[in-house]
Parts: sequence; C-alpha cells; structure tokens
Amino acid sequence: MTRELKFESPSLARRIRGMLGVDFYRLFHTPLFYIFLAIAAIIPAMVSAMTMMPDPSGNAMEPLYSNVWQIIAASESLYVIHTIADYANMNMVFIFGGIMVSVFIGHDYKSGYVKQLFTTHAKKQDYMISKSLVCAFAMACMCVSYFIGGTVGGLLVGYDTAVHVGSLVLAILGKMVMSLGWASLYTFLNVIFRRYFGISIASSFFFGTGILIIGAAAIVESLSLPTAFLNLFLYGASVNASLSANVGTLAVCILVSLAWSVIYNLLGTRILDRCDVY
Amino acid sequence: MNAIEIRNLSKNFGAKQAVCGLDMTVPMGAIYGFIGENGSGKSTTEKMICGLIPKSGGSIRLYGKEHTDGAVRAKVGVLIEAPGCFPKLSVFENMMLQAANLSIPNAEAEVVRVLKLVRMEGAAGNKYKNCSLGMKQRVGIAMALLGDPMLLVLDEPLNGLDADGMRIMREVFFDIVKEGKRSIVVSSHLLGELQKVATHYGIIRHGKMIREMTAAELDADCRTYVALQSGEMSRTKLLLGCRYARVEEDEAGYLRVYDATAPEEIVRYLYDNGVCVTEIGTDKIGLEEYYVDLMKEGRT
Repeated sequence: MTRELKFESPSLARRIRGMLGVDFYRLFHTPLFYIFLAIAAIIPAMVSAMTMMPDPSGNAMEPLYSNVWQIIAASESLYVIHTIADYANMNMVFIFGGIMVSVFIGHDYKSGYVKQLFTTHAKKQDYMISKSLVCAFAMACMCVSYFIGGTVGGLLVGYDTAVHVGSLVLAILGKMVMSLGWASLYTFLNVIFRRYFGISIASSFFFGTGILIIGAAAIVESLSLPTAFLNLFLYGASVNASLSANVGTLAVCILVSLAWSVIYNLLGTRILDRCDVY
Repeated sequence: MNAIEIRNLSKNFGAKQAVCGLDMTVPMGAIYGFIGENGSGKSTTEKMICGLIPKSGGSIRLYGKEHTDGAVRAKVGVLIEAPGCFPKLSVFENMMLQAANLSIPNAEAEVVRVLKLVRMEGAAGNKYKNCSLGMKQRVGIAMALLGDPMLLVLDEPLNGLDADGMRIMREVFFDIVKEGKRSIVVSSHLLGELQKVATHYGIIRHGKMIREMTAAELDADCRTYVALQSGEMSRTKLLLGCRYARVEEDEAGYLRVYDATAPEEIVRYLYDNGVCVTEIGTDKIGLEEYYVDLMKEGRT
C-alpha cells in the first residue's frame, strides 16, 4: 500500500482544542492545583476568623471585619491601603494564582515539554492562548474556593451578613473575569523568565501584590487627582470590583481583562517567535 | 523535490557564530547521517530545522515549503537530545498528550501502534520517571513517530539503547523510508551504527558543511588498506615505512599499509628483506576512520 505525500494545515480551532485538552488534563492531574484551591479556601477563613487589629485608640484589639463579605471584596474601591483589612480580599487569589501559574508553566520548560510542543505544528500564539485560558480557569476556581472559605470563616465568627446581593455577585464575577488578564500577565512573565524558574515566581508574586498600582494610587491621591484611570490596569480594575459594584463595574472588568489579555498574549507570542524557545 | 533544502544557514549566539553559511540537502527517502564533533553546530542546525530556535540568516525548506509552515510542521517528528515528558505521568499519558498536541484522530490506537513499533507496549503504564535511559529514548522515538511523519529529525537517538534496541531502530528506520518519500536525519556519535543505516552523510565542522555524500560515494572514498602481522613488528614497520607513505599500527596489533597495491607485493618485499609475514589481508576503512581522517585533515 502506498501512502500519499499529503500536507494538511490544522486549523486554529483544532490546534487550540488539542492544546487545551493537554493543559486541562495536566491541570486536573497535578496536586498543585488542588493544593492552591485549598490554600485559597483556608487563608480567607483564617484571616476572617482569627485576625485581629488594634482599635483606633490602640488600647484594645478588634476583629478585622464587621461584615462577612468584606473578606470577599472591599466596601468600596480602595486603591490606597490603610489597613490590612483594605487589602485582604479576593484580590489575594491573584497572588496565589501567580505562584501557581509560575510553577505550572515552569514545568513545561523543566520537563522539556515546550521543546516537544514547538517542534509540532503548534504556534506560539496557541501556547499563549491555551496557557492563559487554562490558568484563568484555575484562578477562577480559586476565586470560588476563596468565596467558600471566606464565607464559612466569616459565618463561624458571627459577622454581620447584610449585603447588596447584586453588588456582591457582580464583584465576585468581576474578580473572576479579571483572572483572564492576570493569567495572561503571569504567562507573559513566565515566557520572559522561562530559563529562570525562581525569578518567574518572584516576578509573578511582585506583580500580583499590585504594589505598583498601590504606589501609583498613593501618588495620585496625594496630588488630589482622580483615581478612575487606575481601573485601566489589572489591579485597579480588580479593586474596583467592590461591594458597591454595578453592571458598569463588571463591564470595565471584562474590557480591561480582555484588553490586557490580548496585549500580553501578543507580546508573549512576539517574544517566543523571536527568541530561542529551548 | 528534496525533504530538506538548507541554503546559507547561519545562527549567531551573541558574538559567537554557531552555524555559518551551512548548505544541506536531504533527498526524499534518505536516511541522512549528520556527523560532527561536539559543538560543531549539529544540534543548533537541527533545532533550527525544527523551529525551536530562529535562524539568523539563510533559508530552510522542508518538502519545498518554508520550515515554519504549519502544514509541513505537522508532519515532522522530532527527538532532540531527550524526549520532553512529564516525569510523574505514565509513558502512555505522555504519549496521549503529544498525540493531542498533534491533533491526531484515533489517538489511542496511534499511540498503541507506535509503542508496539519500538517494543514499549509492555511499559506503557510505567511512570516516565521510572523508565531507564534506553526506555526513555524509545519513548522519545515513539513520540517522534506519532502521526505518521514525513520527516524525522533525531538527535542522538541511539544513546542508551541496548543491542536489541539498536536493531529495532534499524528496522524502524528502514521501514519508514522504504517507500522513498519519508526521510530521516540522524545525528549520532555511534558512527559504526550510523553506517549500518545511513544512505547519505553530511559532515559538519565549525558550523559549516565540509562534506555531503551518498553511502556509495563514501564507500568509494574510503581507502583500502592491507593489514598484516609478522614475527618482527617493529622492523616490519620500519621497512614498510621506507616504501609506503602511510603505515600505522591499529588497536588490534596489526600493521596497516594504506593505499598499497597488492598484498603479494608487500609479502615479497618483506621476504626479500628477511621478514616473514604470518597473517595478511585487505580491508577498507569505515565511516569512523574516514571521519577521524577528515577531521585530522581539517586541523592540519
């Protein structure tokens, strides 16, 4: 039997489907994912149940929050941090998520999987898209896990449960949507530091803390300038998804997340195209 | 149409030029032995062919198409250095993941087929990290064979293989190219093994192709020699050295007289000088010696 000399270019959808299948399989078969899901649930439960801070007079300790949902999102958009309570909310998922993504993608390079992948028809953009989507999914799952942990912890302590349900749902959805932008950022950082596992984790942690936007916000606030433009950045838009969120807030999250995702994917693709992959 | 056509290829790593002006032609149906010293640019060239590193200049065409073309890339099987597998997953899982990346329909059947080809079906359930070096090489070759590739690029595929593994690989290679359309590029330092399979050779030195030839051309190029032993080897060597240009003692203790016309002439010459030859025969140098000679020529 004679086989024909036939070359067929697989479509983008077919390539992405194959790669997503691989990445989801890996995600669900790595203990790393479940460990980070557990971390995402335990930390808010512990923070809301156990953390105390000094009262304004400094004489006595009082609970960090008065309301269950403050561990999920701040009462309003607070770009500048005054107390740990302003900072400790679902945005912390993006810090854990950054570490998880770095380890997950780092294994691609450590194992030589990328070498195996990029010698096939897989394009660099497929890799960026697939990693961003799978890691965004993982972070969105961590948001759900965080929500469960935070809620249970807050209820056990007996915090007040009064909330505008619509705003709470929009805030959670907004943060989940932001996972895509964050995942793309972390994928991009891991592409840049692909040969340096430790640096990629450190850089993901650094950007995940939102310290750059917090610093910028402090300057903006001291100059009495409007802070709305901070919502154009990943951390800003994530903070903006607060307990006073509305449909507009969610729309901003979607647009900002998508825009940064596209930017980071394009930049990552460009780097991979121009540099030695392995 | 050739399977691979490389013209004036170059690759710079900063100020270092790893490959400079390399030309390479791999015909369809060829098993191309790609030979060179460590650091000569073999792996760099192979990585450029496979799209792992971008070239600094020149052109690479695979089956007449640009080497980055998705259609042709889908039909290239690669093993560079070692297979890229996840250590905690099983051999079968790793194979299935690669099959998914290649968008292979009926992936399971295809994975079973290639694992059988390299006699690894019995170890499919083993975790990759528990496989021996030879087994890992077989997995790497099996991965390269997934999806019925038109072109295989294998960098040191014979490393760690036992005698049976090498025999199996030879069979697999011959089976792949038997129809005359599929081609294999194999780089290896095991030149004796390579000579058993290669139909074409390319010898690279300092990033440049210094010789490309067919196996028949190599055969014609390989010098003949007369190997002999006598009762007085040191005197024999002196006598022969006076008459013939190149006389060397080999590892087995024989004296080799290169480019000598006939053994009878040597026997007569030595007899006339009072030396009695105890054993004599003619032979040809192999690829390994040809290559070593070529490298020596290059150095001088």
